[in-house]
Amino acid sequence: MDSKRPAENSLNIESGFASTTRRGIAANSVREVNFGDQHHHHHHRGVSTKHVRYGSRATDSEVFSVSQREINDEDARLVYINDPGKTNERFEFAGNSVRTGKYSILTFLPRNLFEQFHRVAYIYFLVIAVLNQLPQLVVFGRGASILPLAFVLLVTTVKDAYEDYRRHRSDRIENNRLALVLVNNQFHSKRWKDIQVGEIIKLQANETIPCDMVVLSTSDPTGVAYVQTINLDGESNLKTRYAKQETLSKFPEKDMICGLIRCEKPNRNIYGFQANMEIDGKKLSLGPSNVLLRGCELKNTGWAIGVAVYAGRETKAMLNSSGASCKRSRLESRMNFEIIVLSVFLIALCTVVSVCAAVWLRRHRHELDFLPFYRRKNYSKGKVENYNYYGWGMEIFFTFLMSVIVFQIMIPISLYISMELVRVGQAYFMIRDTQLYDETSNSRFQCRALNINEDLGQIKYVFSDKTGTLTENKMEFQCASIGGVDYSGRKGISEEEHAGYSVRVDGIIFRPKMKVNVDPELQQLAQSRKNTIKCKQVHDFFLALAACNAIVPLVIDTSDPTTKLIDYQGESPDEQALVYAAATYGFMLIERTSGHIVIDIQGQRQRFNVLGLHEFDSDRKRMSVILGCPDKTVKVFVKGADTTMLSVIDESVNQNTLHATEVHLHAYSSMGLRTLVVGMRELNPSEFEQWHTSFEAASTALIGRAALLRKVAGNIESNLIILGASGIEDKLQQGVPEAIESLRTAGIKVWVLTGDKQETAISIGYSSKLLTSTTRQIIINSNSKESCRRCLQQATATAKKLVTVSGVTCDTEGTSVAALTPAALIVDGTSLVYILDSELEEQLFKLASKCSVVLCCRVAPLQKAGIVDLVKSRTTDMTLAIGDGANDVSMIQMADVGVGISGQEGRQAVMASDFAMGQFRFLVPLLLVHGHWNYQRMGYAILYNFYRNAVFVFVLFWYVLFTCFSLTTAITEWSSVLYSVLYTSLPTIVVGILDKDLGRRTLLKYPQLYGAGHRQECYNSKLFWLGMMDTVWQSLAAFFIPVFAYWGSTVDSSSIGDLWTIAVVILVNLHLAMDVIRWTWTTHAAIWGSIVATFICVSVIDAFPSLVGYWAIFHVAKTGLFWLCLLGIVVVALLPRFVVKFLYQYYSPCDVQIAREAEKFGNLRELGAIQKEMDPVLDRPQR
Amino acid sequence: MMNPNGASSSDGDGASHSSSALKKNSKKPKYSRFSQQELPACKPILTPGLVISTFVVVSFLFIPIGLVSLFASERVVEIKERYDEDCIPSNYTKNVVGYIQSNETNKTCVKKFTVPKKMKSPVFIYYQLDNFYQNHRRYVKSRSDKQLQSKAFEDETETCKPEDSADKSPIVPCGLIAWSLFNDTYRFSVKNAALNVSKRDIAWKSDRQHKFGSDVYPKNFQSTGLIGGAKLTTSIPLSQQEDLIVWMRTAALPTFRKLYGKIEVDLEADDEVTVVIENNYNTYSFGGRKRLVLSTTTWIGGKNDFLGIAYISIGGICLFFAISFILLYVIKPRPLGDPSYLSWNKNTAANMK
Repeated sequence: MDSKRPAENSLNIESGFASTTRRGIAANSVREVNFGDQHHHHHHRGVSTKHVRYGSRATDSEVFSVSQREINDEDARLVYINDPGKTNERFEFAGNSVRTGKYSILTFLPRNLFEQFHRVAYIYFLVIAVLNQLPQLVVFGRGASILPLAFVLLVTTVKDAYEDYRRHRSDRIENNRLALVLVNNQFHSKRWKDIQVGEIIKLQANETIPCDMVVLSTSDPTGVAYVQTINLDGESNLKTRYAKQETLSKFPEKDMICGLIRCEKPNRNIYGFQANMEIDGKKLSLGPSNVLLRGCELKNTGWAIGVAVYAGRETKAMLNSSGASCKRSRLESRMNFEIIVLSVFLIALCTVVSVCAAVWLRRHRHELDFLPFYRRKNYSKGKVENYNYYGWGMEIFFTFLMSVIVFQIMIPISLYISMELVRVGQAYFMIRDTQLYDETSNSRFQCRALNINEDLGQIKYVFSDKTGTLTENKMEFQCASIGGVDYSGRKGISEEEHAGYSVRVDGIIFRPKMKVNVDPELQQLAQSRKNTIKCKQVHDFFLALAACNAIVPLVIDTSDPTTKLIDYQGESPDEQALVYAAATYGFMLIERTSGHIVIDIQGQRQRFNVLGLHEFDSDRKRMSVILGCPDKTVKVFVKGADTTMLSVIDESVNQNTLHATEVHLHAYSSMGLRTLVVGMRELNPSEFEQWHTSFEAASTALIGRAALLRKVAGNIESNLIILGASGIEDKLQQGVPEAIESLRTAGIKVWVLTGDKQETAISIGYSSKLLTSTTRQIIINSNSKESCRRCLQQATATAKKLVTVSGVTCDTEGTSVAALTPAALIVDGTSLVYILDSELEEQLFKLASKCSVVLCCRVAPLQKAGIVDLVKSRTTDMTLAIGDGANDVSMIQMADVGVGISGQEGRQAVMASDFAMGQFRFLVPLLLVHGHWNYQRMGYAILYNFYRNAVFVFVLFWYVLFTCFSLTTAITEWSSVLYSVLYTSLPTIVVGILDKDLGRRTLLKYPQLYGAGHRQECYNSKLFWLGMMDTVWQSLAAFFIPVFAYWGSTVDSSSIGDLWTIAVVILVNLHLAMDVIRWTWTTHAAIWGSIVATFICVSVIDAFPSLVGYWAIFHVAKTGLFWLCLLGIVVVALLPRFVVKFLYQYYSPCDVQIAREAEKFGNLRELGAIQKEMDPVLDRPQR
Repeated sequence: MMNPNGASSSDGDGASHSSSALKKNSKKPKYSRFSQQELPACKPILTPGLVISTFVVVSFLFIPIGLVSLFASERVVEIKERYDEDCIPSNYTKNVVGYIQSNETNKTCVKKFTVPKKMKSPVFIYYQLDNFYQNHRRYVKSRSDKQLQSKAFEDETETCKPEDSADKSPIVPCGLIAWSLFNDTYRFSVKNAALNVSKRDIAWKSDRQHKFGSDVYPKNFQSTGLIGGAKLTTSIPLSQQEDLIVWMRTAALPTFRKLYGKIEVDLEADDEVTVVIENNYNTYSFGGRKRLVLSTTTWIGGKNDFLGIAYISIGGICLFFAISFILLYVIKPRPLGDPSYLSWNKNTAANMK
């Protein structure tokens, strides 16, 4: 019987003990009330740890030293309990009123303007407008020069003012909420904003906590308070907080509580709190489990009394509510380069004009005095003097400045405004897209960042969280192996047949809130009261599931007064699933206090004393509970991960069962289930005594408490009898494998970063089709820097070989390409500690870029950011991070685009994200459809805006060459101003919002079309320079055709100016019309409407007798020459573009072009045939 | 509302109520073709057929238009006589500026020319100036439209500097443009019979009626300082000073014509026209040229072959493109929407080789 257990299975898929480390964020277990907070620091690597090193893991001793360290008085905040006067005497701590509004009435205008002028474009605008006001430089009239800037500023100001008004209103509501505060030994209502640090506050059930406070006592005799932290970190389950034993029996109204809390300075770590409290001469240490944080809600607890330690803006909630980070889109940063090029053009034009003017003035210097059209001399005032002439040098300088004013729209200011409008429009369509709406969570797509829409079309790397992002994070109990027998819940049992287990007590029916699939056979066994071994094993198994956890049952009233629901609240969804399963099989956990639990076993309420509880830790990977049963026996129940459980099970007792269970475990884990092994042992009195004394000793120890406790646990968790194993399914979200496949076909690399174990990660990798049986796995799993280095070198060699080998197979098989024989890199967090931030980073990156799949497991939140940074800093490719939990925040903020899943975990990730949506699979339409569209639209809109303004500037410039370089404009100043604001702006915006190069179905069907964004097909310097050449040609055509046609005629400058205005507007709009892909009525309205609007505006301007050009348009439009010129200009200007465009599209078509043709001429079927041929290559069947 | 079977219906009500509440709370975006970007749309693609037919249409449209306008331009009879050099007496050729600025010199000058073809009335008389930048910024801005419009704004001369006031009272019309009013005059005769030159309706009606006030009379004009050009009769309101109105429509380009008057009778071919020119206007100081132009008009305006030639050339180029694209299409066609051109299919194909 003592034969050795078979060596650990090589596959070794140890599945998820998801308990307290699920999110890398600690959970406090019930018994912790006695111990304080010693080892939370394990997990409390919150978002804002000061460690620079990614994911360094504190050892026990470090933690220990930290917790024992005295907080220096200089670093500490001293809070005198119930003495706000003294507390605030020396330092004025922040009051509890909050202000999220940015401005007050007085500061609004200056601050808002200051912020707006942070944009270089606006400053340019302003400088030009100011220059224009100088008497020597007046080019435009006052009104015309200031109007555009004023308009833009006004719109933005009104928008900001409205937003700030809303913030102020919500602040006011928040500040005027009421709370009970102890004043003169009685609780009085006080407004939140008047609460001071040091005051004692009483909270009622379901109240929101007004400030960060240390719990003194609660309605629960053991000092437990339950809080919901959904507003803070988004987790919806209840968390337990404890009052210290020394304070929980005090009533502030009667006994004066006097004490001193010495706590750390306010910081934004919501999972950490360090303080100590001196009360009645005793010094107690306080940890994060002793504080209630602002924004949380008190639940399930009658009342709680606490003392305020941080208030107002110093609370952790407020410190964490930083605004969304301001990101700049890639296209926009690229665009800035082209803007610099345009500035160079502008300076060149101005230089040409001023140099020519200088030469002209020099050559005519003797004539200037009398030239009828210059007349330097002023004779009107007795003595003859120069009029408006400041010498040759100054004249040149002024000419330069004036030409900057005249040619100012070369730098397309309006572009910034139209880009913003286009993005708003694009966001509208993304939000309104029914395909991005999630039915289950009733959430729409959210566009939180408005300036990176187009980045969605160029994503090359997707970093995804696993739990809650790829999976639903809804654990479901699927099957169990008890006593060596596998009870896999058979599918196909309809809902009615197992309407859910319920018990009736005193005429009230209790029913678990969630239903679980049941195995009929197992149910029968659970319900039978026969005393067979099998039955007993089943009973013990479910008893273990019901008892061995940290779940709090809540009884919820339903609309039917005779029925009550039981809701199991806890930090681990795995435990919740197990308890629900136990309840369904008749072992319903009804009540939990710190000393006992009540379990309803098949209708009989039984009370178990909880004698001790060893909570989960990452070394033991198991937890145990010691129960005093009603029959006076003492039993220890243990559940944990198979790797560590199998070693503590007494192999001699039931070898067959053990063996069978192992087989089942293997089967479960290869199905992708998370497995747990359950064992138990009955303790005899001496064993119990021995444990009890050592447990007491360990839990009161001052030094090394955690290690001692672990040792005690290790002693008692031995020689267990195996009861069985459970299989829990963490369901993949709907459509995840397909989504990942689409993304990868589109050329996007998907990296999964998870806090889960390697085995779980790999199994999810398989089920999500990231990994297939052909994938070669390269695993890096090392404990030191040296071994990491070695591993990396080996792995790089392997990867190289793989590529060459696959090259060979390519040749022989003739079907595959190198990229299709994929290698998967699997790295764990411990190795990353050594790799990130060291010289090995580079090596890891090179290796990773050779692999088609990268899985990182056991990574801490900051390591996730580190990995994103690894890629971001080494490539120019765009990165996207998607996640749902607080642990993904750093990654979401680090990536170029952050996407939050607004699902189970709540709002922390969403708050930090740029876009938020309900499901992972929405990433596909978001990137492939909207991203593609947005990129194409924005790229085109930018290039078009450059062209549109430049063509106008060039027409002005050519005319200047015919006016002695004196910067006259034939086009009226109002038309110059309205040109980019009114005549040509709407079509760009409409096309930028509405044009679609390809339909949604095509884009989804051929994800490869996404490559257009990767190859920067819609915006690159080639397009820019071609566009500029075209611009010059078009301006030449538009300018010189009328010049030749009207040379030596009676035409006046207003008439020809109107002709140029209209010609340029028509030209620019037809140019756009030529590039529009999809003509809807809106496009028609915008383009033709703009042309009509231009005619109307020009006519209106020419209807003012006080302007020079009075009635010019009506005279000139009567002549045939005018219309012939217009027609000629349009055809000549657009001819080269038309020819080049056609030749390019016809003889070197891009993918998008082919797909468009296919879409139009309906031979998509042919494409489909090709697609099918390719399918087997892309997606090889698994084994 | 009374319901006989309360118990069962209440159940149903509850259910429907909750479902309707769910619907009310549902944030599902409403479907509309607009919000889903599925508006009916026309998706033109540059197919060879479309492109070739465009070129054919353009060329078939442009060549006739070009021919018609060329023909129209040919029909215009134009007589152009440069007189600025010829009208300088030979003893002043070294000192042209002195001659033109002097008050004593005789500026009268006689020129003769024959009419090449019959000119149907009305025959328009223009003066054409070269190298005269009526579009110079200093010049263009030196006027006061308000002052021209109404007597009430007589003092609005701020923009007119340096011709704004004389002896502290405003000049009407002020500014450099009015100051430099053209002052050469022409008298025509055919076979010793004087031709009547009509100076009425040579300016735009809109200008006469609205832009130049009928209550605005010239004042202090060309009275002191430097004399720039013609003087105005102070008893005629600006709205009837048609020469001024024509002059004030500043020309767009440095070579320009202005209407001087109309001859309301036909001029027969080979008629010899004698013109007596009062050569007063000083273009000599800056090298400007002066021409006298007699011309008939057609729908296209004056004589200008440019547009006709341009249209014919554009039509020709388009025809050339049409033919070459047809050839290209025949020689090297590409099936539209052929998937084998897709980059990812090309890659596989390349690998297969």
